[in-house]
Amino acid sequence: MTGHDGWLPESAELVRPYVITRGRGLPDDEQLSLITLVTASADHAQRPTRLSPEEQNMLELCSAGYLSVAEIAGHARLPLGVVRILLASLKEGGYLVTRPPVARARLADKEILEEVLNGLRAKFG
Amino acid sequence: MTEYTANPLLWVLLVAFVATAVLVHRQRKTARALRQEIQSLTSHYTELENDYGKSVRAAQEQAEDETKTVLKSAMRTLQGLAAEQQLVLSRLQSKYGDSALLQDLLEIDHTNSQFGRRAQSIAVLCDGWLGGRRDTASVYDVVRSAQGRIRHFRRVEILSQVDFGITSRAVEPVALALAELFDNATSYSSPDTVVEINIRTVPKGICVVVDDAGVGMSDEERARADKLLASERASGVAGLGNPPQFGFAVIGLLCERFGFEVSVDSSSPYGGVRAVVLLPHDLLTAMPEKQAPAPAPLAAARTAPEGGPEAALVPARTDDGLPRRRRKRPMAIVPGSAPAPRSAARSDSEQAQVMGAFQRGTQSGRTGRPEEAERTSSNPGASSEGHGVS
Repeated sequence: MTGHDGWLPESAELVRPYVITRGRGLPDDEQLSLITLVTASADHAQRPTRLSPEEQNMLELCSAGYLSVAEIAGHARLPLGVVRILLASLKEGGYLVTRPPVARARLADKEILEEVLNGLRAKFG
Repeated sequence: MTEYTANPLLWVLLVAFVATAVLVHRQRKTARALRQEIQSLTSHYTELENDYGKSVRAAQEQAEDETKTVLKSAMRTLQGLAAEQQLVLSRLQSKYGDSALLQDLLEIDHTNSQFGRRAQSIAVLCDGWLGGRRDTASVYDVVRSAQGRIRHFRRVEILSQVDFGITSRAVEPVALALAELFDNATSYSSPDTVVEINIRTVPKGICVVVDDAGVGMSDEERARADKLLASERASGVAGLGNPPQFGFAVIGLLCERFGFEVSVDSSSPYGGVRAVVLLPHDLLTAMPEKQAPAPAPLAAARTAPEGGPEAALVPARTDDGLPRRRRKRPMAIVPGSAPAPRSAARSDSEQAQVMGAFQRGTQSGRTGRPEEAERTSSNPGASSEGHGVS
């Protein structure tokens, strides 16, 4: 506040991520992976005001239906791990329901593919 | 009579008397001279003493000024480095957000914030630089920012919120003053107690009430605190004791410079100290907007009519800078659960909600009617819509 001319060109966020997570640790990878689907639980009507703005924001984001953890992280503009910590604590508090991601289609047997390839080679190659 | 005059004793007495008289007279004269001398000496001494006091004070002031200048520029360097490190940490946190490394990065961030705050406090005492420019922030965020600058931030609990913001000029000073209060509150109370923060609206502005369950302050400490907060501002770093007690000195200076009030003269219902920060109306503004409004061209582009070849019209990125998802093929939307007609400026969060609703709809369809489920899930466009991550 003296005669110094310049402010710093940019300053970091006012509220640091560790305060937003209240110093909680990262949840298990199994519990909340990047593609785990999350939605607000049905009885979220009596949502308490004690939740931080970030938590309320996330609840609102996924109140309409299932969203993946990665998508929520993208919209929340927070580091992914921080989002996972918050989601885990919301889940513990019963505000959120998670669902494992939709299983991927089973891959075709590698041997069959090789056989087909060999057959094609034999015929055309 | 002649008997008396002949008496040698009389003569002896007479001589003795005269001698005494002379002696007394002389003594008096010497005493007077001495007194005068003493007087002049005293005045001389006072003069010397005054001069000495003055020169010592001058020397002290000069030394203090020099210390201040040195400390001020040293702290400015340290503050700059801490701020720079904070930016680097922010970048690292978003880069390694999904790895276990994040936990350690958050810890480093915490230590760095404390370090920055210490440098800031010393800078304030030396009339120095307060830190980078801040945008207007909500009172709640400023309190949380202060919370992040102390060691035992987990013990601080914010119990209420208000819908007010703090002007950009006052964000840093208020955060720093609150951080010093929180630091006192957590350091002078036992580690298993909680420091409670209540934010209240009062006619004069907003009060932030900090209650700790510690041992409270002794009369002496209270007097020192009152003095530093109200009447006698600290100047420089001299007289802070060892280990130095920055807290109230820093808060007092910030109060004077930025026009808010802090009092610690009541005791908390939990037995410790209750500190009350009163933020007057001129430091307050309306609640800051959460996100910057979307630029006009984007909003215009999003008014594209339903069902058309949207891929060509919708911009490739959302306001958040995320790739916008495009429909690869037309989708059948379940009647009744269709979202409200597209408004001109749908925010990204609404967008996400709509997507989520769609996902939930297809999900319930799939689980509810098995024969329908096959048909729905055979539509790759629909099933990949809700959770498609590429």
